[in-house]
Amino acid sequence: MSALEDKKKKGLVFNIQKYSVHDGPGIRTIVFLKGCPLSCNWCSNPESQRREPELAFNPGRCLTFSKCTRCLQACLRGAIIREADDSLRIERALCEGCPKHCAEACPSQGLIVYGEERTVDDVLKVVEQDAAFYTRSSGGMTLSGGEPLLQADFALALLRESRRRRIKTAVETCGMVPWKTLEAASEYLNYVLYDIKHMDAGAHEAQTGRSNEIILENFRKLAELAPDRPILARTPVIPGFNDSVEAITAIAEFLRPFPNVRYEMLPYHRLGTQKYHFLDRVPPMEEVTLDKSVMPRLIDAARNILGDRVEIVK
Amino acid sequence: MTRFTCECMSPQEQRLYDQMEGKEDKFRKTHSRVFKMLERFDGQKPRIDIERALYFTQSMQQTEGEPLVLRWAKALRHIAENMTVYVQDDQLLLGRAGFDGRYGILYPELDGDFLDIAVRDLPTRTQSPATITPEDAKIVVEEIAPFWKGKTFHEKLNAALPADVHKLTYDDPEGLMSRFIVNETASFRSSIQWVHDFEKILKRGFNDIKREAQEKLDALDPLSPKDNCEKKPFLEAVVIVCDAIVHWAKRHAVLAREVAEKETDPVRKAELIRMAENAEHVPGEPARDFWEACQSQWFTQMFSRIEQKTGTTISNGRMDQYFYPFYAKDVEAGTLTEDQAMELLECMWVGMAEFIDMYISPTGGAFNEGYAHWEAVTVGGQTPDGRDATNDLTHLILKSKREFPLHYPDLAARIHSRSPESYLWDVAETIKDGSGFPKLINDEEIVPLYVSKGATFAEAYDYAVSGCTEARMPNRDTYTSGGAYINFAAAVEMVLRNGRMKKYGDQVLGVETGDPTAFSTWDEFWNAYVQQHLLFLKTAFHQQYLINKIRATTFAQPMGSAMHDLCMKHCIDLHQEQIPEGINLGYFEYMGLGTVVDSLSAIKKLVFEDKKLTMQQIIDAVDANFEGYEDVAALLRSAPCYGNNDSYADSIGREIDRISVEFGGKYSKDLGMHNDVRYVPFTSHVPFGKVVSATPNGRKQFTPLSDGSSASHGADVNGPTAILLSNYNTKNYGMRDRAARMLNIKFTPKCIEGEQGTEKLVSFIRTMCDLKIWHVQFNVINRDTLIAAKKDPQKYRNLIVRIAGYSAYFVDLSPDLQDDLIARTEHGAI
Repeated sequence: MSALEDKKKKGLVFNIQKYSVHDGPGIRTIVFLKGCPLSCNWCSNPESQRREPELAFNPGRCLTFSKCTRCLQACLRGAIIREADDSLRIERALCEGCPKHCAEACPSQGLIVYGEERTVDDVLKVVEQDAAFYTRSSGGMTLSGGEPLLQADFALALLRESRRRRIKTAVETCGMVPWKTLEAASEYLNYVLYDIKHMDAGAHEAQTGRSNEIILENFRKLAELAPDRPILARTPVIPGFNDSVEAITAIAEFLRPFPNVRYEMLPYHRLGTQKYHFLDRVPPMEEVTLDKSVMPRLIDAARNILGDRVEIVK
Repeated sequence: MTRFTCECMSPQEQRLYDQMEGKEDKFRKTHSRVFKMLERFDGQKPRIDIERALYFTQSMQQTEGEPLVLRWAKALRHIAENMTVYVQDDQLLLGRAGFDGRYGILYPELDGDFLDIAVRDLPTRTQSPATITPEDAKIVVEEIAPFWKGKTFHEKLNAALPADVHKLTYDDPEGLMSRFIVNETASFRSSIQWVHDFEKILKRGFNDIKREAQEKLDALDPLSPKDNCEKKPFLEAVVIVCDAIVHWAKRHAVLAREVAEKETDPVRKAELIRMAENAEHVPGEPARDFWEACQSQWFTQMFSRIEQKTGTTISNGRMDQYFYPFYAKDVEAGTLTEDQAMELLECMWVGMAEFIDMYISPTGGAFNEGYAHWEAVTVGGQTPDGRDATNDLTHLILKSKREFPLHYPDLAARIHSRSPESYLWDVAETIKDGSGFPKLINDEEIVPLYVSKGATFAEAYDYAVSGCTEARMPNRDTYTSGGAYINFAAAVEMVLRNGRMKKYGDQVLGVETGDPTAFSTWDEFWNAYVQQHLLFLKTAFHQQYLINKIRATTFAQPMGSAMHDLCMKHCIDLHQEQIPEGINLGYFEYMGLGTVVDSLSAIKKLVFEDKKLTMQQIIDAVDANFEGYEDVAALLRSAPCYGNNDSYADSIGREIDRISVEFGGKYSKDLGMHNDVRYVPFTSHVPFGKVVSATPNGRKQFTPLSDGSSASHGADVNGPTAILLSNYNTKNYGMRDRAARMLNIKFTPKCIEGEQGTEKLVSFIRTMCDLKIWHVQFNVINRDTLIAAKKDPQKYRNLIVRIAGYSAYFVDLSPDLQDDLIARTEHGAI
């Protein structure tokens, strides 16, 4: 694929975040691609799941109808409803396929659209703005999502073009993608963050919507394909799902044979729940919290198997 | 809410003391002497000591008509002979300018016309209050103030300003209150920040300088009018002042011996005898060891504070450099331990904390809220031959900052492209400690700039941080009066109101650039802004021209001059306008960069390009302070803003900078100095904001302007890398006539947590160095900030909470999640 063709490729991006220091080495920019094959109940980025642009309403930023009615006037389909109590409701059925004039008219970012078509060139121009920081910190670009490799063409073009521009790359993947995509991406990746959520296929399917066979198989192949490339395996620790010594031990056992793999557990947090409400969705785990005493026990369990390959996240 | 910023807000400072009252500090045991001293003046309101003002006035009354520099020297001698000297419990250093505990002194020659109002108001005023006894107040009102009526710098300046300059400078005929448009700052300090060549005193002592002056006196041409009228009084003044400080030191020695006599504790008795021996020897003679070096520097520093009010208090220079030979020698000989050295330094920090830099005038008070002080101890950087300069003492001073939780001294770390990792890690660990110290100053920006302004490489490599963000070369730089602080947000308002301001009614203050609704292109609007901008600059430079002349006839500084190579060489006082071979590095202040750029950007984009708003709508909205126009305010805020690495906004900022730099380059010549643009506001962006009505960036009327080269409050939504890059993008690197830029950056503790966090902070600092950013200081955002953000989301809309794989604006979280996060932060674990 030529550079010219790659630069013009388009994909659906819902956020580009500068100065990320927790998702890969150094100071990084994360490009969030929209769409995910899984639908995890604990997902903290619900706006990442669907593969089309979505309208979101954040009442905290809305100026309210008493001060602004720009969206009412802008909507051509009557989908913005002014309720009797002056609150705003979106009649979502009327919104499908609409170009979202309301969000464009909104002065306060109360109405926004998650997901925008952008070209590879456009995305990398933004990524390159922080190049001076990557040089000093061994940082670079991280593709995240959703599942970034779901938009395989776009993601691969981003990675190839990054290589041409000497930007170091990482991907944050759930692994639920065709091996061919992962294999192709592998050539251009300096670092991989790979989610391993559960070793039990049934439990995995129950909470994420998909079984874990492909994910585990892909992991094995990827770790063996480039044995010198570091992989950080990550487990979101979810109450009632995998917050047991048994579940974590099983994952650690699975990771043990791969010397290039380090391991990190991320304690469940509820910070994404607000975004479900913005999308008029019900957060599946709103009331659940993680018992504080759990993490140290799980870290010990993982350490028993992986030793100092376990990263400590407080 | 920024904590422990350069502005040194008073509640924070107070909190430090309060913490120490409450619970035992973990470093108390290893620093017990200095903690004990600190606890004695915990929370004390400063007391005004009038001795300096009284003896100064007494002497000046008797010498009227004599050459000014000689009068000043005689006044210092009179002070040295009569001022009370003190030996404090536990203290290892001698020398102070007033009462035990926290104190401030008065400089009636500067702003004595405010003195009677001041003694009445100071005890009760909200900004930096201080107490005075009724007896002393009576002396001030009856004996000191009357002599200075009509003679102070401030009165002379007020009388000298032409009407068109006066109306943008002062709010009343007497010039008691500022207009806060083109604000003069020369009448609340004798000079802007300054740093002495302390090393010279440690190595040579004042007796050697006196000898030099005497030799020069003997060599004068007895027939030359210049030698007799100018050089002779100067050299005589140097002789007098060298004797004065030595005499003052020796009075301390006598007292220390007396106290030692009565002391029953043998350990303390030995300390007192040693202190007396030190004071008998320095600062007259060269220091022989580390303790003497500290004592010599401290006497010099304190006598300098008595000599004149230097803006932001006298800076300390490159302490890790000039103390190092003494430290190394003593450690090598086994006569000094690291802990003992640290204790001596900390005795000095305590002495600094007791001295309060008083601002008498109401304007001065507003500029320097919270007992502001920048005594700038410099560490790190390069040697005069361009090698890395860090040493063991560099690390010791940083360690002291981490272990002794005192807000003094202000600490500045010089950074260069080859700063060793060990140094940057130590700097980063100190920043992470939470206080925001040290601030970072970048050699890669300053050294080439100073060379281009006329310094040699060796001089430029050897600069010392001075005051808030400035850099000085103590034997090449010369004095500068405080420069104008210019409120450019007012220039935007004047375009919208045809040369007028809401605050000041119908009075025409600026240029009548016409009805803005009649402008049909962005260029017309921009040109109108430029006209206001140039009027302000013109006003500032006229002020400065007169100020420089008045300074030379009002102030003298024999002691500071005695320590300056060029003054001694040419036998001229440092306050004179032109010091041969000197480089006069002054500046004027650009106030409100973020406010102006965001306002202009919003007008350009929304009115002239996207046509989403009309000029009339903007005028109506700002007139109404956005009440009933909340949607207009929100739309204005959505325009490209400075601080986001957005070329749309940043290119406007660079153009504004260019106009300012060009003006400075062109008209500085008339002033015989470098009067360059600087972006450093102290706390003054608050009072300046109080005169500016609502601005087209959605800012409400009379609220603070953006500070320094930082973004408008809440406008920077792209994180810290974007802030650095916007700063970079708005500078004109191809041009010379620029001075400092102050930049505050906030971090959540999580961003720099652990060893990995330190590593990332270090690489961030390296990049700041690469980008030739002049200055950066970090604020580690903590729990209190999150609590404040929850209460006032509009102000904190840019606060990002960062967690692996996820990030959000804090204000977008629901209240209970915000509480959750606040609770997590308390445990340091998001």
